[in-house]
Amino acid sequence: MSATPRALTGLAAAVLADDGTAEWTRTVPRRVAALLGVMPAPARAAVRAAAVAIDAYAVARTGRRLSALDAEEREQVMTSLAARPALLPLLDALKVPVLLAAGTERMRYDGAAPSVSTPGRAPLDGTPAVPTPPRSAPPESTQPGPAPSDPAPPDPAPSGPVPWQPAAPSPAPSHPASSPTAPSPTTPSATTPSATTPSPSTPSAYAPSAYAPEDPPLDCTPSSDWPARSTADAVVVGSGAGGAMAARTLAAAGMRVVVVEEGEHHSTASFGRRAPLDRFTSLYRDGGATVALGNPPLVLPVGRAVGGTTVVNSGTCYRTPEHVVARWLRRHGFAAAEDFATHLDEVERVLRVARQPLDVLGANGRLALAGARELGWAAAPLRRNAPGCRGSCQCVVGCPTGAKQSVQLSVLPEACAAGARIVTGARVRRILTDRDGPAGPRAAGVLARRPDGSELEILSPLVVVAAGALHTPPLLRRSGLGGHRRLGRNLSVHPAISVAGRFDRPVTAWQGVLQSVGVEHLRADGILIEATAAPPGMSSFVPPGIGRALRRELEQADRLATLGAMIADRPSGRVLGRDRPLPRYDLAARDAGRLLRAQRAMGRLLFAAGAEEVLTGVPRAPRARTPAQLEALLDTVSVRHLHVSAFHPTGTAAAGADPEWSPADPEGRLRGVHGVLIADGSVLPSCPEVNPQLSIMAAALAVTRRHVTRAA
Amino acid sequence: MTVRGAVFRETMLGRVRLAGDRADRPVRLDLLARADSLMLPHRTTLARLTGRVRIAGRADDPSAEGELEISPVARRRIRYRLGFDLDGRRMLLDGWKSVTFRHPLSSMTVLPYTLYEDGARVGEGTLRFPLATGLLPFLAGFRFPRAAEPAADRFLAPRWDGTPGRTEVWYTTLTDPASGSGVWLHHELVAPHDGAPAYAHGWIAVFPKEGPVEHARFGPVPWAGRKGGRSGRAGGPTRGWAGRRTDGWAGGRTDEPTDGPAGQTDDLTGDLTGDPAGRIDGFVAGGVRVAPGRLTGSAGPFTWALAEEVQGPPLHTFPRWSWRRPWLPATHLLPAARARYTGTVRHGTRELRLTDAPGASARIFGHGNARRWAWLHADLGGGDVLEIVAAVSTRRGLDRLPPLVFLRLYRNGRAWPRRVERTAVGWAGIGRFRADIGLPRWRVEGRAGLRRIRVTVTQPPDGTLALDYTDPDGSAAVCRNSERADADVRVERWWGRWRPEAAWRLSGTAHAEVGSR
Repeated sequence: MSATPRALTGLAAAVLADDGTAEWTRTVPRRVAALLGVMPAPARAAVRAAAVAIDAYAVARTGRRLSALDAEEREQVMTSLAARPALLPLLDALKVPVLLAAGTERMRYDGAAPSVSTPGRAPLDGTPAVPTPPRSAPPESTQPGPAPSDPAPPDPAPSGPVPWQPAAPSPAPSHPASSPTAPSPTTPSATTPSATTPSPSTPSAYAPSAYAPEDPPLDCTPSSDWPARSTADAVVVGSGAGGAMAARTLAAAGMRVVVVEEGEHHSTASFGRRAPLDRFTSLYRDGGATVALGNPPLVLPVGRAVGGTTVVNSGTCYRTPEHVVARWLRRHGFAAAEDFATHLDEVERVLRVARQPLDVLGANGRLALAGARELGWAAAPLRRNAPGCRGSCQCVVGCPTGAKQSVQLSVLPEACAAGARIVTGARVRRILTDRDGPAGPRAAGVLARRPDGSELEILSPLVVVAAGALHTPPLLRRSGLGGHRRLGRNLSVHPAISVAGRFDRPVTAWQGVLQSVGVEHLRADGILIEATAAPPGMSSFVPPGIGRALRRELEQADRLATLGAMIADRPSGRVLGRDRPLPRYDLAARDAGRLLRAQRAMGRLLFAAGAEEVLTGVPRAPRARTPAQLEALLDTVSVRHLHVSAFHPTGTAAAGADPEWSPADPEGRLRGVHGVLIADGSVLPSCPEVNPQLSIMAAALAVTRRHVTRAA
Repeated sequence: MTVRGAVFRETMLGRVRLAGDRADRPVRLDLLARADSLMLPHRTTLARLTGRVRIAGRADDPSAEGELEISPVARRRIRYRLGFDLDGRRMLLDGWKSVTFRHPLSSMTVLPYTLYEDGARVGEGTLRFPLATGLLPFLAGFRFPRAAEPAADRFLAPRWDGTPGRTEVWYTTLTDPASGSGVWLHHELVAPHDGAPAYAHGWIAVFPKEGPVEHARFGPVPWAGRKGGRSGRAGGPTRGWAGRRTDGWAGGRTDEPTDGPAGQTDDLTGDLTGDPAGRIDGFVAGGVRVAPGRLTGSAGPFTWALAEEVQGPPLHTFPRWSWRRPWLPATHLLPAARARYTGTVRHGTRELRLTDAPGASARIFGHGNARRWAWLHADLGGGDVLEIVAAVSTRRGLDRLPPLVFLRLYRNGRAWPRRVERTAVGWAGIGRFRADIGLPRWRVEGRAGLRRIRVTVTQPPDGTLALDYTDPDGSAAVCRNSERADADVRVERWWGRWRPEAAWRLSGTAHAEVGSR
């Protein structure tokens, strides 16, 4: 590895106010450099250029580079920069990779949490340690079936950075019998997070390998071991939510199925052995820095591994709202959505979806429940596919306990048991087509590229495209199948923001369920609030300040509770590009209003829960101490000032009855070619308005099952 | 319709890694590929592979067999599937060259492949075509023989492409060796000159050895068969053909997965022939049908159901090109020089049970009937056949010529004269064959090379049926046909003088006809 650039070293020291008193800050620049290494070139160049520019500013101001200055001088440089409001968004963007690296390094040196209060004290919301559900919460249900009157709150799924705990399931589950099917946790060795200070060189501190259960078997073959020429009855491109379900359905029908996945297979045990940031960089495409250009620009993280984004989502499972299904059927003519409830039932069974028990909910979720109860808002623990969750709070970097039933632990094993095979590390370059068929072009298989640049081909009369809503359109274009004018358009992304509240006592949000509670008061208005914490540095909430101010925030991070909100958006984006996706998204005016409204609502909720101060995440209006102050503050904020993230891209190869409007037909078959099915989020005709995992899987199930029925 | 095939040899060298082996082994393939059609780069061609597979120390199978899919442009793939024996186990080599125009040489010469045994992968490797040493022999080894034994069925597909003023005929004549009766089945499609809808009609006639000729007509009924039209002419015919293919296949094909390679092979077969749907339909008019190997129908008191077993290659009475390019007033051919018929023909209370009755089916396509004509089909026995059409065209200018004689003597597996045109036009008219058309006797004679032939046909008046024909332009003609004619055929060869070479006398088994206006 090349030496860390000096500009980066100086930048990290300045951002974190490194005064040499803490050991963990020394290795942050190296982490930042490593993180940049996996980011796409434009993002990498932008960060480096910004670092160089700040370095140049330091030279101009002091005659020396940042790295040569002492702590006081660096602080002065950063303070003068931060005094310019126009630069605040830029500085915030720069803080993200530094905070990511800092969170990991701090964890390595200090253990899970900063020197903070330990969990287990009386919860801040005044409820007992194992709280009972608030009145507003629907009765807890562990049945996998649909929650009747359970409006779906949005799930800021992999809400970027989130606090995580060291490998061991931190607060030892006080109710070990939380789930009869939970992997038997052998004595949760007393590796409580903050108990010890592991040596910096012991990454094993992350890994509760003793707790990692054996994963169900998968038939994975690295692309280097897969022959250059092979045949199958069906090739599934992508092993995420849609691809896994498609593979399972087709394999169960007796077809020889090969799933081609660009990412690698990561076992639950491997999650326990590796630091969260290492997992972050290997599980996310582009190091999590996929960006949608537009106004405002959005970070749109998507997973890349066997299991796709389900490996790194929060495990929140909402059934597709009935009005959405009705809209798909009536307005769009998405025939595969008929009998959607049955398909959703089956998906929920496979994923073992149940309402999250309260025992490991964590203080973050309990505070959200308390706030909602105070306001009289409907709120409840979320339904999740994580039976036996131990509250590791590491969903977004791969569940280290195997509780979360990502598709590589639930659906793909069933597919493999039925004969499906998975090729890992193979990026599909093209769908092969036979263009001389008497009925027009016909899919003939796929051409995929191995990491070493060599190619392999799999001939198959059926190709199921499940590369994700961002990658399906470019793949079709590369294959000469992108002729439909609506391909790549109709992109919905669930724009999301987050807000934090500071409490007078430790919250330690990263101990508990990552995404725990849904507040559905505003759901009818397209706003879904979810209590979402994350491992340190990985939250999409960016603490205010820079230099010493930021360092103070980090020192007190354990007192923060974070909420996220996502909105049901208009399909105002599109995916351009051929070799790689170039998402573009312009927030609709209606959706901007929803975001601002969501921010106020989250602030109210936090104050109602007892927060001393609400951190808005807006650089120019960072904090408010009273609800009135918050309202006044947010009056000055427009959507351009918000940190907007986005999740759940859908709709870019939508199915529908109108051949002019929908690239795929009502059964999910790509128009203009025979033998290509769309079975990922891109096939959804419009925004599902909730966390889309169940919707995507049910749609993939419906599309492939209809194909099987037709073929039979 | 490509009448020539392609044959070439290819040698490839490479390596294979067998399951259980620690190291690669050298492999050599010596293949002979035979295709029934020319390899047009933009089309997909399927060829049969035979050859020898050698794997050092493990296999040397000189009788490997498989198939080759050649589609460098349409599918960008040249796929080899080859079965061979390895240590007593049956292996399948399945691999393909992926043609890319960015790397034309390597992509056309490198063949990655996988070895399977009972569907399980047991090895993989790569073969390469050795350009330096193999290219010249490869190119020099290309041959384009006539496609072996084109299926007789292909000539059953209608040629009519919707053009007004055409007539097309499927007819069959046979002789029941047991009873000495003759049978004539005539199926005709007429597209009137004035653009009126095409109609189909025909008749059946039985020529008992004793007794009068009986016949019955069927139709006319609107033409319900499909249109053909692969003449390559611009406009309607081509579009009609293409559209027909698409419609036909769109309904029949689904997106259902097939059994991998096998399913794809099925697809290929259809594409290769370029004749997916047309081969299965011939003539259809009400309940009367002519399908490959089958003739059925009823007309008046007649009902027939015959199975046809073709023997021998097609026999083009007119120049071969005239079937593909309908530039002559009409053209005539026999899908198979001879055929055998089994089945029954019922007429009234009588029934003719046929078992391997000799005869032949023929096809005519053109603008209408000739001004005058004579026709003979004589099964000479021993696989030999004589076919004669002598006709005077109705076209202005041509109608002043003497009858043009098209004579084909198929003997000992060869047709004489070698060139069809020889008998009709000779050398600019010199040396052409001559016909003296009359009734009850007519003659044809002529010389080609060192042989000459004289044919005398006698149609017994009591065994001759006179029928009215109607041309597409509405004009009428009269045909006098007998399936119980006599024929005397003499062939002489010049060897210092004309010496008899062969002679046949057919008594009541020749099929003949004379037409006039």
